[in-house]
Amino acid sequence: MVICLVLGLPNAREGVAAAPHFNRDIRPILSENCFACHGPDEKKRKGKLRLDQRDVAVAKEAIVPGHPEKSELVARLDASDPDELMPPPESHKKLTAAQKKLLRQWIAAGASYEGHWAYTPVARPTVPVVAGASAPIRNPIDAFVQDRLSREGVAPAAEADRASLIRRLHLDLHGLPPTPREVDSFVGDRAADAYERRVDQLLASPRFAERQAVFWLDAVRYADTTGFHGDQMLSLWPYRDYVVEAFHENLPFDQFTREQIAGDLIPGGGRRQKVASAFNRLNRMTTEGGAQDKEYLAKYAADRVRTVSMAWMGSTLGCAECHDHKFDPFSQRDFYSMEAFFADIEEKGFYPSGFSRGEWGPRMALPSPEQAAALERFDADLKKLRDEAAAIESSTLAKGQAEWESRMSELDRAKGAGWTNVVPRAATSANGATLTVAAGGEISAGGMNPDNDTYTVIFRPGPGRWTALQLRTDTEEDYAGNRIARGWRSYVLTGVEVEAGSASGRATQVEIVEAIPTARGQSDRYPAWAVIDKDPKTGWAMEHDHSGSHRLVLRFARPVETDGESEITVRLRHDSEKRRATIAKFRLQLTQVEGATSDNDALPPKVLAALRAPAETRSDPQKQILAEHYRQPAPELARFRAEEARLSGERALLNGQVPAVLVTKAVAPRMVRVLARGNWMDESGPIVQPAVPARFSAASPARENLTRLDLADWIVSADNPLTARVFVNRLWKQFFGTGLSKVLEDVGSQGEWPSHPELLDWLAAEFMQPGPVSPKDPGARAPHPWDIKHVVRTIVTSHTYRQDSSGTAARRPAGGGLTLLERDPENRLLARQNPSRLDAEIVRDNALAIAGLLRERVGGPSVFPWQPEGYWAPLNYPKREYSASRGEDLYRRSLYTHWQRTFVHPTMLAFDASTREECQVNRAISTTPLQSLVLLNDPIFVEAARAFAQNILAEGGGELDGRLQWAFRRAVARPPLPEELKVLRDLHAAQLARFTASPRQAGEFLRVGEAPLPERPDPPQLAAMTVVARAILNLHETITRP
Amino acid sequence: MKTKFSAAPPDAVALGVHRRTFLGRTIAGVGSLALHSLMHPRLWAGASQPAPGWPGVVNPRHVASRCKRVIFLYQAGGPSHLETFDPKPRLGEMHGKPMPESFTKGQQIAQLQGKALKCFGPQFSFRRFGKAGIEITDRFPLIGGVADDLCVIRSMFTEQINHDPAHTFMNTGAIVAGRPSMGSWLLYGLGTETQDLPGFVVLVSQGKGGQMQPIAARQWSAGFLPGRFQGVKLNSTGDPVLHLRTPEGLGTAGQEESIAAISALNRIRHDRVGDPEILTRIAQYEMAFRMQASVPELVDMRNEPQSVLDSYGARPGDGSFASNCLLARRLAERGVRFIQLYHRDWDHHQAVKSNIDLKAAEVDRPTAALIHDLKQRGMLDDTLVVWGGEFGRTPMSQDGDGRDHHIKGFSIVMAGGGIRGGMAYGATDELGYAAVENPVSVHDFHATMLHVLGVDHERLSVKFQGLDAKLTGVEGAKVIKGILA
Repeated sequence: MVICLVLGLPNAREGVAAAPHFNRDIRPILSENCFACHGPDEKKRKGKLRLDQRDVAVAKEAIVPGHPEKSELVARLDASDPDELMPPPESHKKLTAAQKKLLRQWIAAGASYEGHWAYTPVARPTVPVVAGASAPIRNPIDAFVQDRLSREGVAPAAEADRASLIRRLHLDLHGLPPTPREVDSFVGDRAADAYERRVDQLLASPRFAERQAVFWLDAVRYADTTGFHGDQMLSLWPYRDYVVEAFHENLPFDQFTREQIAGDLIPGGGRRQKVASAFNRLNRMTTEGGAQDKEYLAKYAADRVRTVSMAWMGSTLGCAECHDHKFDPFSQRDFYSMEAFFADIEEKGFYPSGFSRGEWGPRMALPSPEQAAALERFDADLKKLRDEAAAIESSTLAKGQAEWESRMSELDRAKGAGWTNVVPRAATSANGATLTVAAGGEISAGGMNPDNDTYTVIFRPGPGRWTALQLRTDTEEDYAGNRIARGWRSYVLTGVEVEAGSASGRATQVEIVEAIPTARGQSDRYPAWAVIDKDPKTGWAMEHDHSGSHRLVLRFARPVETDGESEITVRLRHDSEKRRATIAKFRLQLTQVEGATSDNDALPPKVLAALRAPAETRSDPQKQILAEHYRQPAPELARFRAEEARLSGERALLNGQVPAVLVTKAVAPRMVRVLARGNWMDESGPIVQPAVPARFSAASPARENLTRLDLADWIVSADNPLTARVFVNRLWKQFFGTGLSKVLEDVGSQGEWPSHPELLDWLAAEFMQPGPVSPKDPGARAPHPWDIKHVVRTIVTSHTYRQDSSGTAARRPAGGGLTLLERDPENRLLARQNPSRLDAEIVRDNALAIAGLLRERVGGPSVFPWQPEGYWAPLNYPKREYSASRGEDLYRRSLYTHWQRTFVHPTMLAFDASTREECQVNRAISTTPLQSLVLLNDPIFVEAARAFAQNILAEGGGELDGRLQWAFRRAVARPPLPEELKVLRDLHAAQLARFTASPRQAGEFLRVGEAPLPERPDPPQLAAMTVVARAILNLHETITRP
Repeated sequence: MKTKFSAAPPDAVALGVHRRTFLGRTIAGVGSLALHSLMHPRLWAGASQPAPGWPGVVNPRHVASRCKRVIFLYQAGGPSHLETFDPKPRLGEMHGKPMPESFTKGQQIAQLQGKALKCFGPQFSFRRFGKAGIEITDRFPLIGGVADDLCVIRSMFTEQINHDPAHTFMNTGAIVAGRPSMGSWLLYGLGTETQDLPGFVVLVSQGKGGQMQPIAARQWSAGFLPGRFQGVKLNSTGDPVLHLRTPEGLGTAGQEESIAAISALNRIRHDRVGDPEILTRIAQYEMAFRMQASVPELVDMRNEPQSVLDSYGARPGDGSFASNCLLARRLAERGVRFIQLYHRDWDHHQAVKSNIDLKAAEVDRPTAALIHDLKQRGMLDDTLVVWGGEFGRTPMSQDGDGRDHHIKGFSIVMAGGGIRGGMAYGATDELGYAAVENPVSVHDFHATMLHVLGVDHERLSVKFQGLDAKLTGVEGAKVIKGILA
């Protein structure tokens, strides 16, 4: 009895007199037990028998229609000889007695076959008329659902209470809870269309798009990193914003499809279409040493076939990479023909400069008009400046050059060239780190590890005429997660200040005019110029490969003359937004060389060699080398050098701010072969052209050289039976917890016969081509084809959606018998609603919203909410530590969280977020103790509890009970029951007593997070209320959509 | 620690909860799990029978077995079999000579693409150890000391030549991401024996120098199985389990009272709406609270005698491979099903000799100590210990002193848990290039591991994307009968 229930109702109809229905009852049995050897896969087919085609099955007499007793299939099911028995014992598959009976009945009734439901064209079914409905029929959804219920003899549930209903609607459409005011305004609005108006308001908000985007981002496996090995950063977030924008603008799904798959090929396509084409670049990529181009091109291509076929068509075409599909009509050739559509994408298998330079194939800069104009101005100014400088011939500088040569030669002879190590008298940290000076002058930072710091180094250089300071940083073995910096990937040096003076005299500021890094220290986002640009937030960092040592030469405007007593003070500032991006280990050096470089001798070896050659024997090239190098210290060119440093530095900083995104660039297509057993080294397979699976070729243009645009057109053509069904089925899952066909990733033969096939088809038809607006719903706007908001609106305005979820299903009927929960545990009849746990992102967003901490801003680069230290320690290439965002970015909606594929943010991962390594269309929902630890102890949630408590105290009135009621209602949209209130009151009393006795502990407890505390906090009061707020945020009800 | 939950009967609650949870779960969650996998008879064995935690779907086991758990000492980067467990004197004789093309033609190559392939002789001598006289590098004298407990498989081969996919394949039996790791499969199949700790624990060792291979959480992911089956990483710095620590200033009493209040409120809600998920949630809070006591107790090694610490070379708190080996034993004692311990520094493209010297110093003592310690405690019979990485190294040199990635032949060592000790199994060719005698695929290895734990690898499957997905893949795998005790 129970087992039948678990199997789900479609299979639990044994004893129903009607003949078995092929698609509902028979195909699942044959597919699961027989098709692997007697199905579409030609290579695995045994005895040339296939049971997926009636004519073959009949011809081979496996099935003799009308005569189960003569049918070999039936005989084999009960054969006593293990060699005869089917399925064979080694398959570990076995039919139940009920299944065997169904097969016999079906053959007896003539063994009629049907095309697989998902492969037959979508036809709009007639909406049934339900006589004597006990619940409202608000739209065709209710008609289909209640028609089935009336036949099952089950009554639909009543509408949920208005507070639960509005909380459900807000959580489903926005992923955010309603405010008490929003609850009140709805509960108090008795107009007939109050609910529909609220639905329309919610659909119009960008919050709807932000919620909807997450499902799609899982399907297309959008992330911010490469996902293989070093899991380096990528810039793809403009694509994520495109998705949000597309849902917000209600872009027709067919257009949405074309833009992503073939945005670069759309005639007249603009920036938006190109950004959308980043879809083709969302696959994992590698820069691991030793990876072979060809092998990884094969991996990426297969990944694309899996993603496109599953995300759009709910098909496991990806299973045909190595062999023909075992259950569905997809051949291995179909797999590679699909792959061939994408063979024109410019890409590499192995990206040689991925790690070292962040180069991952075609990308597009996305400057704002202002940025573009400013960049042009910089380029023009720089060109003008360089032309002016070039106009000053070196010959006119000859006198100065001769003097420079003689000074440098003298310095060289006196062993005064090169870089002189500085031995500090003192090295101190402004914010508590310990700076240790080694005998040779090397300084290591240790101890406390503040987010920002300034190192001050004081030394006496001895007599000299110094022209430049060099900073040399080195690796620090003791930092397990990082080497050159104490946190993040690199240090960010935001400023260097140098003061010089005699021991007695006043210190004077030394002006630095040029900052010259070694090659790996050059980047637009973190240029060395930022060290001297006076902006405390900009800085110099190693953007990509930062292993090993790095050097920065800081040239002075004028030489600094010191005597034996003179002291020089150097301050290294780390004031960037990145946390702990402070230098781990460094030394300072000075030089007297004019035009010094970071070379060991402070001059490039060939310059030094030319200098050392006696003037009369210098070759012409040597003379030219000297003349060329002299342009660096030449006083006549000083103005140009300083100006060029400024212009190119500012240009770099601006350019570093310009967003960029990987895009699709079409090139001549690579040759695609069928790979035997998926082996990329096998070159014997036939060459294939782009083509849709043969089973569906009728709906595809009969041209040669099909493109991605043709593929997209086919996917969203009215003749494609899969796309619309698959999409509406997934929408249904969002609002009921289960799809109408439960297996969201596979609507093929191994998928599930839908619980309400006509309803699914009606929704699919309505999605592709909406019918006229119902006269009963004057508020509805006219929908367009492929209108996502229209389908969502239709679903959430149905009575079926609005049904109660709170426990009536668990109540035993008055006359005894099964409860609805027992009868239909999975709610496949839809006689009620289901409570469901919030998705990972929403668990956090909900808490931040309740707490008043959520900071909403649509789009932008990914952000970094709090994450435990050391979570990224297993990463390398580069080694890195997490640097949490500052200010508002700590509290943004979770879809904007940086998505690190190999180590997804642990708060998200704990609640079953997708790693986005592969297409995922159905997140599992688990309940684990780690989730409890997150909600209890993760600083994200403790800080939210504290902020929530501040609001409770500020806005919840003056009385304790009133405050507790306010808080409870804020979280779950209903007032607490008296017994609930008592639990909260008792908890509060115990905590208040403890914190009053120990205000120090209260202070510690309140210190978590960076959200501001009230101006005059009462620590014990606030701490006690924080405990209560935390308990409320932890409630099952709080993280459950009703 | 005494808590107010210890008075309640957690076992009964837990089982009852889990049974109902699974029913409830099918509504919203498991999704990809086939119904038949949810219908194991054990799940229906009355809620009144107390059983700890998740009972597992293979219950009773498919095959009689004494082995209960696995400790996998995972050597990431790909240790050279030629300097550890696979003696190749002929390769020494060929040192410096071109690698015969008959070996390498048409085979995959990683960083040696386009380079001249020259033989590179073994850098260490081998000694015969134990009664069986198994040949092992002289850099592993202590591992040699337990040779009679070891089964050295010298004929492993794999399919993926780069670290990332090779790790994925070794851990999940699949190249495509998103499949359950072997620990998750075992936890799903066999259930857990501990109520206070996760059933699948991962330790990542800290070490000095070297390249420190990046690894991915995918390697202990539950894939398409529910999140409860994923590996939990124990950290050697910060909180041992993420967010294990009660917030500063709240104190144990504040935490306990909070959880009691949360559970009380959840119960009130449950009484009203009857949603079985709420009971699951309550049980998870109770387990979280128990973990807050049991995990610190687990990682606190103060009660380990100095002699034990010394035998492993462990300095508690340093996060070293040695300390983690000792921690692995403590986890095994507490009923954790699958313990995976990463050493991450075996990618010796350069200076294979000096590097292996260093790494041998890090792993020889603790590996031997763990096997010895388990044996002394009578736990080696029911604990399978595995030592090995994702692939081996080329017999050819890289840049004159290193070795490149190699997939055609490498070694893995197994001990205890139903595996015959004191034997070597299979062989590579005379140059250590390809497994030629009794080749063992990664799927065969997995099948054998499952077998000693009493699981028929063909029958531990879950429906995913229409297929009966298994750890051992679709192409078939065989249990290595020749190494079973």
